[in-house]
Amino acid sequence: MQIQTTAEDQRIAWLAALAITIHILESAFPSPLPGIKPGLANVITIVVLDQFGWRSAAWVSLLRVLCGSLLLGTFLTPTFLLSLSGAVCSIGILWLACRLPGRGFGPVGFSLLAALAHMVGQFTIAWLLFIPHPALWRLFPVLLTAALLFGTVSGIIAGGISKRQRQCNP
Amino acid sequence: MMTRADRVLMAITLCTLPLLYLHFWTHQDTATVLRIQTAAESATITTLTPDRHVQIAGPIGESTIEIRAGQARFLRSPCAGKVCVHSGWLREAGQLAACLPNRISIQLLGNRPRYDAINF
Repeated sequence: MQIQTTAEDQRIAWLAALAITIHILESAFPSPLPGIKPGLANVITIVVLDQFGWRSAAWVSLLRVLCGSLLLGTFLTPTFLLSLSGAVCSIGILWLACRLPGRGFGPVGFSLLAALAHMVGQFTIAWLLFIPHPALWRLFPVLLTAALLFGTVSGIIAGGISKRQRQCNP
Repeated sequence: MMTRADRVLMAITLCTLPLLYLHFWTHQDTATVLRIQTAAESATITTLTPDRHVQIAGPIGESTIEIRAGQARFLRSPCAGKVCVHSGWLREAGQLAACLPNRISIQLLGNRPRYDAINF
């Protein structure tokens, strides 16, 4: 049986593979605090959003979460649920952000929004499902600060990559 | 590099974060009652007023719980390690201190008792 693939399918697969690679490399680094990690794989999501639109970005993001979890052995574990809820929230907010009139957001704005939404979604799920203790909320501002920091850095990196991409294939 | 929307978003985030810190780090869930659990009987719930000392008998002797100004602590306990006494004052709902040798634990409860954590 042969599945007909379009050029777009293949592009998404390549980009998702790249995002998965970064995701897995990153998971090798220890995290100072549960829930905080740089999320460099999201650089790919933002670049894809910038170059190929929201639909491709959503595909790449969800494929990364799914395949990343299968490769790391966390599929359907709490880690996976947190990762998935974060990804769903961030592509949701990106969908809205893409529809902003005018010049809208640049890579930094998109990345920051995605990071914040990712954290909020993930935190909410963690609180609702796994640790429904009021003290957990004390971590919330700390985690959002990390999201602000890493989201901005990822955005700057994504902006740089996008710019260079455009110079290569104008 | 950054568009106007980016800058506005950044500014909003930077302004909101301190507020979040303020809100979540100063706001405390005040306790309303104290739950005392011993090995011998089921847990008893007691109020946090008036200020008083409560004597509780355990397998190795009598522990004293001090209740003052809506807070509670182990004042004395006949155990060797005194971990319970060194836990100090319990101030917020959810906080817990226990004397394992004497099989007594105390916990402050708020209006909404919740689970500590759920594990899979």
